[in-house]
Amino acid sequence: MATVAARPRLRVGIVKMASCDGCQLTLLDLEDELLALADRFEIVEFPEASSLRSAGPYDVLLVEGSVSTPDQAEEILELRRQAKLLVTIGACASYGGIQALRNWSDHDAYREAVYAHPEYIESLATATPIAEHVKVDLELHGCPISPEQLREVLVSVAVGRRPQIREEAVCLECKRKGAVCVMVAQGVPCLGPVTQSGCNALCPTFGRGCYGCFGPREQANATSLARTFALGGREGVEVSRLFAGFTGWSAPFRSVIAEYGGPPGMTPPAETRPEGGSDARR
Amino acid sequence: MVADERMPYAPYPSPSGTAVAATPVPVTSANGSGPWFLARANLDVLLDLLHEDDRKIIGPTVADGAIVYAEIRSVEDLPTGIGDEQSPGHYDLVDHGDRRVFDYTVGPLSPKRWTFPPVVPLNVGRRDGKAVSFEPSVLEAPRLAFLGVRACELAALGIQDRVFLGGPYTDEDYRNRRRSALVIAVNCTTASSTCFCTSMGTGPEARGGYDLVLTELDEGFVVRAGTPEGADLVAHLPVRGADAGQMFRAAEAIGKVAATMGDPVPTAGLHDRLLAQFDSPRWAKIAERCLSCANCTMVCPTCFCSSVTQRSDLDGDVSTSERVWDFCFTAGFAKVAGGSFRSRPRDRYRQWLTHKFATWVDQFGTFGCVGCGRCITWCPVGIDIRAELLQIAPPLAARPEPARPRPIASTPGSFATARIVSVRPETADVMTLTVGDVDPAFLSGEFGQFAMVAVPAFPPLPISISRFGRDTIDLTIRAAGPATASIIGLGPRDEIGLRGPLGSSWPIERAMGHDVVIVTGGIGLAPLRPLIDGLLAQRERFDAIRLYYGARTPNDQLYREELRGWAARGDIDVQLTVDRAHDDWTGPVGVVTHLFDRATWDGSRSLAFVCGPERMMEATVDALEARGLAPDRIFVTLERHMECGIGLCGHCQTGRLFVCRDGPVFSLAQLGDIFGREGI
Repeated sequence: MATVAARPRLRVGIVKMASCDGCQLTLLDLEDELLALADRFEIVEFPEASSLRSAGPYDVLLVEGSVSTPDQAEEILELRRQAKLLVTIGACASYGGIQALRNWSDHDAYREAVYAHPEYIESLATATPIAEHVKVDLELHGCPISPEQLREVLVSVAVGRRPQIREEAVCLECKRKGAVCVMVAQGVPCLGPVTQSGCNALCPTFGRGCYGCFGPREQANATSLARTFALGGREGVEVSRLFAGFTGWSAPFRSVIAEYGGPPGMTPPAETRPEGGSDARR
Repeated sequence: MVADERMPYAPYPSPSGTAVAATPVPVTSANGSGPWFLARANLDVLLDLLHEDDRKIIGPTVADGAIVYAEIRSVEDLPTGIGDEQSPGHYDLVDHGDRRVFDYTVGPLSPKRWTFPPVVPLNVGRRDGKAVSFEPSVLEAPRLAFLGVRACELAALGIQDRVFLGGPYTDEDYRNRRRSALVIAVNCTTASSTCFCTSMGTGPEARGGYDLVLTELDEGFVVRAGTPEGADLVAHLPVRGADAGQMFRAAEAIGKVAATMGDPVPTAGLHDRLLAQFDSPRWAKIAERCLSCANCTMVCPTCFCSSVTQRSDLDGDVSTSERVWDFCFTAGFAKVAGGSFRSRPRDRYRQWLTHKFATWVDQFGTFGCVGCGRCITWCPVGIDIRAELLQIAPPLAARPEPARPRPIASTPGSFATARIVSVRPETADVMTLTVGDVDPAFLSGEFGQFAMVAVPAFPPLPISISRFGRDTIDLTIRAAGPATASIIGLGPRDEIGLRGPLGSSWPIERAMGHDVVIVTGGIGLAPLRPLIDGLLAQRERFDAIRLYYGARTPNDQLYREELRGWAARGDIDVQLTVDRAHDDWTGPVGVVTHLFDRATWDGSRSLAFVCGPERMMEATVDALEARGLAPDRIFVTLERHMECGIGLCGHCQTGRLFVCRDGPVFSLAQLGDIFGREGI
């Protein structure tokens, strides 16, 4: 695509559902190229950086967070209508996030236990990925996402090509870096073999196992990996806990979690109930 | 520092499984011809020499729970007294508490990381209006010295030389890196459980491709030079000639290591055997365990695949390209618009295994495997390539079998005496003798083999061995005439003469990973009993096992208690039938083939072992072939008149075969039109 001086800037919006905002902040990590980005893209909505709000339309809409309230479930339908290209960013938007652990739990019991006035709390019993509600054009994974992959998406839109996001296990990044496998050499359970790359093998290269925040890679054989964890002497609940993290609601991990007895702690312990009369929101 | 004119210069595994060693470069140094001895205390002089030569030393050091290659600054960095223990999916460091520095096997990294790095810049592409340009990245190869390179790794370098430099197009970056690196090898004096260089013909002794090679002894190193550059190094080292004791101990240590590895991957015919298995159901079976994570390929010292990635600016006007390691286990690797040619993990595993052991041979003239065992150790779920090869492409039952121990009393006149331990009636006219004090050759006999049994004054009889005990064998004998009656009439502590074990055996290894169908009648169960023992002893290596057994009457069944025991296990389907029943028989009545008339199993997944009267076997073979069993997957035993048992007397000649020596177990394919032919 030839460089044209009077090129119109593409409208980019960032919106959030149930999330911590860490993924949208990743945009600011592209420090060296922020000016160039601003030259090509008009950021019309970016809650962490600006109080501006926009109703759309968007050339590119980056959606952070999972759908966890009735309002969000409606809002995402309208956002989809306004977006030419809808890209989910992060584990919450792509897989439900850590809050999707509620999907196994007794939602009402937790609401009663945590809030002094549960009647004010309007939340859904589930936290679900955006793709369970609307068509998603591209998912970026991770908790948080990789700034390099976010850049690649924006560049590919600007240049007009397909984004090059590698479909491979975390192991490839690990071995390219020359790291020693924590699972084989130290017996640390690691989800790297079944997890999508993109983090540059951050955890394994610091001696801990991957906890799967980038979610299952294509053809993830979570069943075989779980069996290996179990054969290593781990209790079923431990195996289940290893997969029940930021992307536990993804289909391959979900079925392993079910096979090994579900995630632990799915009903609130009695002592977490607030004292009668105290106001949790005060 | 080996010039590429001499490439391929390292030994590499030939498809026949023997190493093709490069001719060592004559050493022209004036400093004697070696081998030399370098005292342990002087190892640092070698490192200093390399540093003075402006080289970075890449050698072994402990990092993150493993011995890996990394930059070595002094002998302090070497893994003194540290070794490793490796098994499928596991790696552990062990503290030997001694002063040895090379007493370990291979770690996850290999010199490939430096000769074929994981990420290499390729070019910078630029667009200026309508004009485009590509500027190749020019890389200066670092001056390296590899220290501690093992024989299998030398072979791997030899293989990559053929891949990158041996064809019409060459990789100049690789050439530069190879040319500028010095290689100091170490002969292995220890092996891991995952090592199999002996099978691939690459080790444990380095046979070329090095500048220097060391063999470690307690007090120091026996040193040999392989190139003038190596000899030049030796000339500057404080060495003396190695004495005879040192040379002997070095050779002995290497020999012992070779012996511990054995030959776990028989490579004879492997190329063809593997390519014949493209449609094996075993691939899907492996894929149940395989994570397609690519760890096996990443630790492999010969895998050479890569992808090219681009990173461009926002305008697409400047882009940099890099070559990165990539692997046949990833989704994108075989992808085109519309999908991946190898979308299923089973396809990817098949690609990897058949490439390493078959199609690589077609492309480059060597195997793509050097037997280093890294893919076994570093597989997160512990898939053992050796076991998979045996299951998918088991070695054919070669004949004559050189590995089989020579039978005792192997001349027609001789018998070794053995003593009857116990006698057990099976039916009205069948007895099982348990025989002790047998020659050890019997105890390592194979399932289906027989013995010639003699008592004075009677003609010797061929009797199949119906069980291999810890220190006894069983002989199950039917009273069919005076000779058999004379043996059956013996009791405990009576002695008999034995010659054997003789003949061919049931090829149990070919059944690994398959369904097994055993069809037998009457006393035909006797030679199959050791096979059943063997199948059940390693039950997990076989899929469904089905036993169909017919007898004249319920009272004519052999091993009745064992039949009940097998049926009760639940992991072997035992179906019995009789020709004539008495009142308390509730099972089926009829010929044995009726037992599987209505069975639903798929013959194409099965191997069949058949023993019984010849008529019964003919009917069985017809039924098995109708179910889709190919003739090379049906095994029968032939009964013939035998006197010598060793193919010398001529009695049992059947067409081109001696049943005693070439059989009695034959595949139907082997028998061809001999089987069932009257009067042959």
